[in-house]
Amino acid sequence: MISISGLAKKFKVENPKKLSEQDKKDPRLQGKFFHSVKGVHLRCEKGQVLGLLGPNGAGKTTTLRLLSTALQPDAGSIQIGDTDVIKEPVQARKKIGFLSGSTGLYGRLTGRENIAYFGRLNGMKEADINQKIEELGNKLDMHSFLDRRSETYSTGMKQKTSIARAVVHSPDVVILDEPTTGLDIMAAKTVIDFIRDLKAQSVPVIFSTHHLEEVTELCDSVTVIDHGETTFDGSLDEFKALSNDGLHASFMASLKQGVA
Amino acid sequence: MWMIFKKEILELLRDRKTLFFMVALPIVVFPVLFGGVIYFTSQAMEEAQTKSLSYAIVGQEYAPELVEKFQEVDNLALQTLDVDASDEEALKAQIKAGSLDFIIAIPDNFSPLIEKSGQIVFKIYLNDAELNSVQQRLNDVIDEFETQFQRDAFSRLGMDESQQVTLLDPMVLEKVNVADKRESVGATIGGMIPYILFILCLQGAMLPAADIGAGEKERGTLETLLLSPISRTDIVLGKFLTIATAGVVSALVTVLSMAVWGVILAQGMAIEFVSSFIASIGTIDVMLVFLMLVPIVSMFAAILLSLSIYARSYKEAQGYMTPLVFAVIVPVLIAAVPGIELKGIWAWVPLTNVALAIKELIKGTMDYVQLFAIFCSSVLIAGALIAFCVYWFNKEKVLFR
Repeated sequence: MISISGLAKKFKVENPKKLSEQDKKDPRLQGKFFHSVKGVHLRCEKGQVLGLLGPNGAGKTTTLRLLSTALQPDAGSIQIGDTDVIKEPVQARKKIGFLSGSTGLYGRLTGRENIAYFGRLNGMKEADINQKIEELGNKLDMHSFLDRRSETYSTGMKQKTSIARAVVHSPDVVILDEPTTGLDIMAAKTVIDFIRDLKAQSVPVIFSTHHLEEVTELCDSVTVIDHGETTFDGSLDEFKALSNDGLHASFMASLKQGVA
Repeated sequence: MWMIFKKEILELLRDRKTLFFMVALPIVVFPVLFGGVIYFTSQAMEEAQTKSLSYAIVGQEYAPELVEKFQEVDNLALQTLDVDASDEEALKAQIKAGSLDFIIAIPDNFSPLIEKSGQIVFKIYLNDAELNSVQQRLNDVIDEFETQFQRDAFSRLGMDESQQVTLLDPMVLEKVNVADKRESVGATIGGMIPYILFILCLQGAMLPAADIGAGEKERGTLETLLLSPISRTDIVLGKFLTIATAGVVSALVTVLSMAVWGVILAQGMAIEFVSSFIASIGTIDVMLVFLMLVPIVSMFAAILLSLSIYARSYKEAQGYMTPLVFAVIVPVLIAAVPGIELKGIWAWVPLTNVALAIKELIKGTMDYVQLFAIFCSSVLIAGALIAFCVYWFNKEKVLFR
């Protein structure tokens, strides 16, 4: 189970003059600070897939970075199972698998070495790492390229390796930040299948996306963030009903186009 | 920390660019370049000294015995020239036209009786832009006559050999050097050794630093690393150790390569010099020199990693790092200036004090108590810089710029 409540994060604006006209008009800009996220809440139960929606700059990535411990929140609470993510970030990281569309690999290492490195960082034993790589290699059909340097990989191969790296330590929850952005159809399908597989294993998944079809295909619940605040938090059916009623028509249009 | 270090070293060893700069450049490319320059320069010098030159002498009638001696010089072919000795423009025209390489004009006051003739001034007309060592080839002949004329003149004036020497060189500043060979050599080259070592360490560390900080940020692997259950201190220390190792290895590879190739290029002549120089310093002092490098490399690695992790991209990191070379050169060059010693304020200037200490170690005049104090103060500075690097690495505005 993942639970977030009252989450807030502000960033100091180093050079306000360099902000775009749109950013200058953003109500989240208060003095020298930009309140990227303020009062975000969501809840994802075991075995659920939660879709995190919102236009560009809404605060989705900041929320996921806070959830994954990359950033420290100014206020609020984050709970993964019985672990307080803010108080025990190292403990929380062992429970999280993280993947984004822009996640890179160490190009001079082979796919196997990339995956094994993160297994070791997560405190796994060599035998367990090898067994897990075999298992993931079979599941994701990676054996033909696992021992090649990852700098020679196609986009699809890279994404498969990134997925394997994210789940090598069998995390309790998986967080995906726009995992299909910039991917071709085949690579995106790999990610979709991967989420489906996690759901079948009852692993809670939170993923941010601009693609409504991915949400309707995979999600059990939806959270919409706009201007750093949760504007919708409910089941997929509730979300569909609201969308059909024309909730935030222009906002929904922007989601469909994938632009803010 | 060791997991990070081992992985970074593995990646470093597989990076052709880094390997080229760290290993191939000092072992193969630099020696080939330097060797090539030395070879072609020596070839050109030898060719210039042995090239056959045609020349003429005007005023031969004033010094037939000197003309005879000129004719005995190898690779010089005397030509006849029907030009008036006083017509300088005509003589210059001969050289400019390329019909002769040079012309010697013997003055009409040429005489063995120099006390009566006055100073004898020979003129050589030549194109000095051409490398052909004319003056060097003629000097031997002129010197022979000059010495003989001087001796005969002194003899006629009734002076013995001692008086002749006194008259030619009435005052001499004789140096009684109490420094042993090691101290003399150390004073001469001791200031340059830390300069070379510091710059090599810094240059060797720069490339990996840019790659494992900003490069990792640019490739999108840093964020994933930050999400692994390992403390950021361990991540920083693993990366720091990699950069420091690269710096030391790069410096050692270059120094060893220079020594080995020096031996090869000098056809064995350098063996004696290198071995006698190292032997005169002593193993312990050599080890102390490298021990003093540890805090220096640590300072470099901490600063480079801080700069690299702040940069958004590999290129931006290189832009930040380049001025650091100048910041290092100045304090180290101060140590190489004659007269600057490990006293007073210089003992407290970071980098300069270590450079001066290395100089003193090479000279064999180091006060080991002072060396310990300098080592400790440098370790403290390095420790503070590493602590800053850890603090810097924990700042969100640095990591997610």
